[in-house]
Amino acid sequence: MKLWASAVWIARKDLASWFRDRTGMMLGILLPIALVTVFGMVMKYAFGGDSGMPKVELWVTDEDGTEKSRAFVAALREVGMLRVLPKAGVPAPSAGDVRSKVADGDAHHALVVGKGFGAAMAEGKEPPLLLVRDPGRVMESRLVGIGLMQAVMAAAEGRGMPWLFASMMRRQGMSEQGAERVRAGMDTVQALVERFAGGAEPELRQPGVSVAAPTAFDVASMFEDLVPVQKEDVAPPERPKTLGYQLAQSVAGMTVMMLMFGLMACSTTLLQERDQGTLRRLLVSRAPRQALLLGKFLFCFTVGLMQLLMLFAYGELLFGVGAFRDPLTLVVLSVTWSAAATSFGMLIAVWAKTQKQAEGLATLLILVMAALGGCWFPLQLADLPWYAEVVTHATLTHWAMSGFQGMFWHQKAFTDPTLLRAVAVQWGFVVVAAALAWQLWRRRFLSG
Amino acid sequence: MTVAELLAVDDLHYAYGERVAVRSATLSCMRGEILGLLGPNGAGKTTLLSCVAGLLARFRGALRFLGQPFTPANDAAARARLGFVPQELALYEDLTARENLRFFARLQGVPAVGADAAIDGALALAGLQERANDRVASYSGGMKRRLNLAVGDLHAPDLLLLDEPTVGVDPQSRNHLFECLLELRRKGRTLIYTSHYMEEVQRLCDRIAVMNDGRVVAIGTREELAQRAGMPGADLERVFLALTGRSLRDDA
Repeated sequence: MKLWASAVWIARKDLASWFRDRTGMMLGILLPIALVTVFGMVMKYAFGGDSGMPKVELWVTDEDGTEKSRAFVAALREVGMLRVLPKAGVPAPSAGDVRSKVADGDAHHALVVGKGFGAAMAEGKEPPLLLVRDPGRVMESRLVGIGLMQAVMAAAEGRGMPWLFASMMRRQGMSEQGAERVRAGMDTVQALVERFAGGAEPELRQPGVSVAAPTAFDVASMFEDLVPVQKEDVAPPERPKTLGYQLAQSVAGMTVMMLMFGLMACSTTLLQERDQGTLRRLLVSRAPRQALLLGKFLFCFTVGLMQLLMLFAYGELLFGVGAFRDPLTLVVLSVTWSAAATSFGMLIAVWAKTQKQAEGLATLLILVMAALGGCWFPLQLADLPWYAEVVTHATLTHWAMSGFQGMFWHQKAFTDPTLLRAVAVQWGFVVVAAALAWQLWRRRFLSG
Repeated sequence: MTVAELLAVDDLHYAYGERVAVRSATLSCMRGEILGLLGPNGAGKTTLLSCVAGLLARFRGALRFLGQPFTPANDAAARARLGFVPQELALYEDLTARENLRFFARLQGVPAVGADAAIDGALALAGLQERANDRVASYSGGMKRRLNLAVGDLHAPDLLLLDEPTVGVDPQSRNHLFECLLELRRKGRTLIYTSHYMEEVQRLCDRIAVMNDGRVVAIGTREELAQRAGMPGADLERVFLALTGRSLRDDA
C-alpha cells in the first residue's frame, strides 16, 4: 500500500476512535474554549482591561470630613489604577481599623486623610496624609503613589504643582525661604504653561505644529513619589527580608497547582487497575470493598504530602521563603491541601469511564481553578465583577492559596481565623467529595 | 443437595440492560472435581463465573455453597472461599512475583505466620522460584500466566474459578498449567474452568457443562454428553457442535 493511503487509513482509524469517546472528545474541545474564556477574563480584569492598568486596592478613611477632603477622596475614586474601599456610600472604618486590616493581611495599603487636610490644601501646605502599607507590596506601592498624586492634583484643581514641588524640596533639606522661592518659580512656570495651553500667547508655539495642551496630570505623572505623604510600614517581623510578594505568590501558587496534577496521575491508577484486570481480582478478594477506594486515597494523600513538603523544602533552600518557620502550621496546611487535592483526583477518577475522560476533565478543571484561585497571579489586582468574585471563592485552589499565603506572606499560624476558615472549607470539600466518590464508585464499579 | 455438592447454581438469570447474558442457568459443582464450562463466544460463561465470584450482584436466581445461601458480592467471608483467575494478566508488572504474591496474600487474609510458606508454595506451583525477585514486566507471557494462576490459588480456596487461563500461551506453558491444575485437584481443590478449547476440557475436566445462548444445555461427563447428543463415542468437538449448533457466534 502507498504511503499516503496507509497514513490516511491510520488517521481515519484514530479519528473514529477519538470520536467514539464522546465525553472525552467534548472535553478535548471544551478545554481550550474554557481556558481562553477564563484567562481572557482574568487578564482583562487583572490587568486593567481597556484602561491598560491594573487596579490596586486602597482603603481610605477621611478623618477631616471637609469639602476639600471629600473632593480628594472622590478624586481618588476617579483614579483608574485605584480601587478605593469602602465603596462610596458605605461608612468608612476608623484609622485604627484600616491599620488593623493591613496588619492582619486583609489589606496592603490604607490611606488616612488626617484632620486639617482641607485647611492645608487651601493654604498650600503639606496635607496630613498617612499611608499605612505592607512594605513587601512594592509594585502596588508605586501604583498607589502615582494614584495619590493624580488625586491631589485633581483636588487642587490643577494648581497643586507649585506647592508639591516646594514640599518636595523642603523634604530634601531646603530651607523654608528656599522652598517658597521654588514655589514662586513654579507658579511662574505653571502660569506660562497655562497661557501656552490656553493659546493666550501664540508666539510661544512653533509655527505650523499643533501641540496638545499639557494637563496637570501629564506633568505630575513623571514623579510618582511627589505627594508629601507620611508612610507607616506594617509587616510581620518574622517575614524574611528576601521574600517578595511575587515570589511568595509563585512558590505557593505553583505548588498548589502542580500537586493537583501530580495527584490526578495517582488517582487514575484506579482506572489502570480496572483496565489491567487487577481490580476484578481485588474485588473477589477478602478485602472489604471500601478498602480499595480508601487505599487509593491513602496512596495519593501520602504522595501529595511528600511532594508538598519536598517542594517547600526546595523553595526554602533556593528562595528562603520561610516555609519552616512554623512547622505545625505547615503540616496542618499541607495535610489539608493534600487531602483536598486527593479527594478532587479521586472524584474525577471514579467519574471518568476512560483515562482520556479523566485527563481531559482534570486538565480543564485544574487550569481553570489555578487561574481563578490565584495560583498564577495575584487576584488582588483584579477588579473582578461580583459573579467572578463568587466563582473564585468557589474554587478549591482559592482556599489553598489563602492558607499558604496566610502562612508565607502574613506569617499567620493555623489558629488564625483566616487560616482556620481556609482549612475548614478544604476539609468540607474532602467530606463532600469523598461521599460523592464513594457513591460513584459503588455505581460505576460495584453495581454489576 | 448431595453431600459432595460444593456449589449449586439455581435458575440464574443476568442481563446487561436489555441484553440477556445468562437465562435460567442451573448447574452444580461437586467437591474435588474440575468442572469445565464450555460454550461458544457470548454463551454466558464469563457472566456466570462473574456472578459466582461476586463481581456481579444483580442477578435473579440463587447460589448455594455447601447447601447454604451464597452471596459473595456482599460477604467478604464468602469471597474468602473463592479463588479467581481472570482472563487478563491481573498482575502488577512493576512489582516482582514475590511482591505480587505477598500483596495478594495480605488481601486474601493469609495469616502473616503462614504467608512465606504460602508464597513459596505458589512460586513452586508456578515454577518461578528462580525468578521470584524479578519484576513481572520482565517475564514471558507463559510465566505471567503461571503466576496469574498461582495468585488465584494463594490462599488455598475451596473453589477456584478460572476464566480461560491458557489464552495466548505456548504449548510448554500450557502443559505446565495443566499439570498445575491437576496437582490442585489432587490436593482436593474444586475448580470451575471456562475454555473454548475442546482438547483442554477433554483432558482436564471430570464433568463438562455446555452453555449456549445463556443456558446450560447439557452437563455430565464427556460420554454422558455424547449420549445426550445421540452420538455415543463421538469426540467432544462433534458433540459440542451438535449441542450448540453450527451458526457463527459473536462476542458480546
